[in-house]
Amino acid sequence: MNNDLLAEFVPPTLDSRPFWEGCNRQELLLQHCQACHHAFYYARRLCPACGDTRLAWRAAGGQGCVYSYSQVQVPFQGPAWQSQLPYCVVLIDLEEGPRMLSRWLAPRGEVPRIGQRAQVVFEQVGQQKLPFFGAS
Amino acid sequence: MPKVSPDVVIVGAGETRVGKLPGLESVQIQAWAVQEAAADCGVRIPEIDGLINLDPYAIPNSMFSSTLVEYLGLRPSFISTVDVGGTVTAMTMLQQAVWAIESGHCEIAVCVYGENTLTGRPEGARGLALRNLLGGEEWEEPFGLHGMVVPYALLAQRYLHEHGASEKDLAEVALITRRHALLNDNAQMRKSMSMDDYLSSRMIATPLRLFDCSQVSDGGGALILMSRERALARDLKPVSIRSLSMRSTHNSVAQTPDLADLGMRAAGRDAFESASLGPQDMQVALLHDAFTISVLITLDALDFSAPGAAGNYLRAGHASLGGRCPLNPHGGLLSQAHIGGMLHVTEAVHQLRGTAGRRQVPGARRAVVSGNGGVFSVCGVMVMEA
Repeated sequence: MNNDLLAEFVPPTLDSRPFWEGCNRQELLLQHCQACHHAFYYARRLCPACGDTRLAWRAAGGQGCVYSYSQVQVPFQGPAWQSQLPYCVVLIDLEEGPRMLSRWLAPRGEVPRIGQRAQVVFEQVGQQKLPFFGAS
Repeated sequence: MPKVSPDVVIVGAGETRVGKLPGLESVQIQAWAVQEAAADCGVRIPEIDGLINLDPYAIPNSMFSSTLVEYLGLRPSFISTVDVGGTVTAMTMLQQAVWAIESGHCEIAVCVYGENTLTGRPEGARGLALRNLLGGEEWEEPFGLHGMVVPYALLAQRYLHEHGASEKDLAEVALITRRHALLNDNAQMRKSMSMDDYLSSRMIATPLRLFDCSQVSDGGGALILMSRERALARDLKPVSIRSLSMRSTHNSVAQTPDLADLGMRAAGRDAFESASLGPQDMQVALLHDAFTISVLITLDALDFSAPGAAGNYLRAGHASLGGRCPLNPHGGLLSQAHIGGMLHVTEAVHQLRGTAGRRQVPGARRAVVSGNGGVFSVCGVMVMEA
């Protein structure tokens, strides 16, 4: 448990529960379409590439590279987030294809480079492990 | 190629005062905007038999078209509420008005949006305080993303990286629109801005500073449409919608395609091709500027500049009043007010009719309006002509 990290949670849906349960087992699960082999994030009841509903969950390797980042300097989520500032939000292009939004974990103030290799890092916040990213 | 009927035209444009309008709720602000647009073209309010609006974001309110209908005392035969995002909402309202009039559902339609986003926000709130959901919350909130600044900051960082552009390119958008706003008596920002002012403004989310972000505003804007035949019979100067195109590609920032594949390029290509015109034929550009980065991306996507060259285009003076195709002469969302882009369209009407006062682009006959809602989630381009 990292006591310093804050996170706001939205209750999972029937679609997304397997993903968040996977995170608690330190697995980054992606849905794969059995018809067109498209791998996608986030969880849905149909393939966003072809509409097929034959979907399977598979663990991703957790590797990717940084597509973009922003160091946030304002507590948009409320005064409690003052303790998090500055923190860094990243877009990660996963090796399996999907682009994913996450938070970059690094010593305070350090930001990634665009194109830099990244690795998923699961951190417990409250009741949930979250898939953050850091330098690989 | 999408076509817009040439038989329906815009005849009236109205805007309320902008900034802080304490004591007014959204319905009163929208009614005020309708009154201004009606007065602008000599339409009596009871003549309006079509009404299309956008409901407020700061204090969400369902079925807002009938709320406004009742307030105005109308008995329309066509009403609708539209929310597709940014200035594309305004374009979609216009599209619906054209369809409703040409198909005989109504004869005189008003498109209107306005709300008390500034004075209606919760006590102590800073920036835009939305009380509605934007979608994607489950995949964004846990990672510290909330609201619209960070999504645009992520696009901006990528744009700077891909093109070797700098914060001084972003600054050009802020500086030009501020200079233009100083010529508009109905603008929230009344002070000039220097490059030093820009560079010393507070960082919000890198690389976006306070002066990269648009205003939070109370205010409203409205447009009135009727058939060209009716407009000419009333001796009104019509403004035509030559073409209008849109693309929707995603919603949340994590699903944004690569910059080169954003919907703006496709929407622009369709709109220009449909009108048999290109960026070189435009005399004024009303580009959606919720953040400075939106304008750089849009200038590139509409071929005003080569990819990554928008900053140079701006530095060359092409987008300043007196230049090739002035950008947002009214000051835009960055320096006039953020009324969802309604005032981009009212400004286009004023420019094309020659009623824009001190900020008039001499002889402007054609305008391009761009919109992007969400984080370039929906993109729209409209070519207008007088």
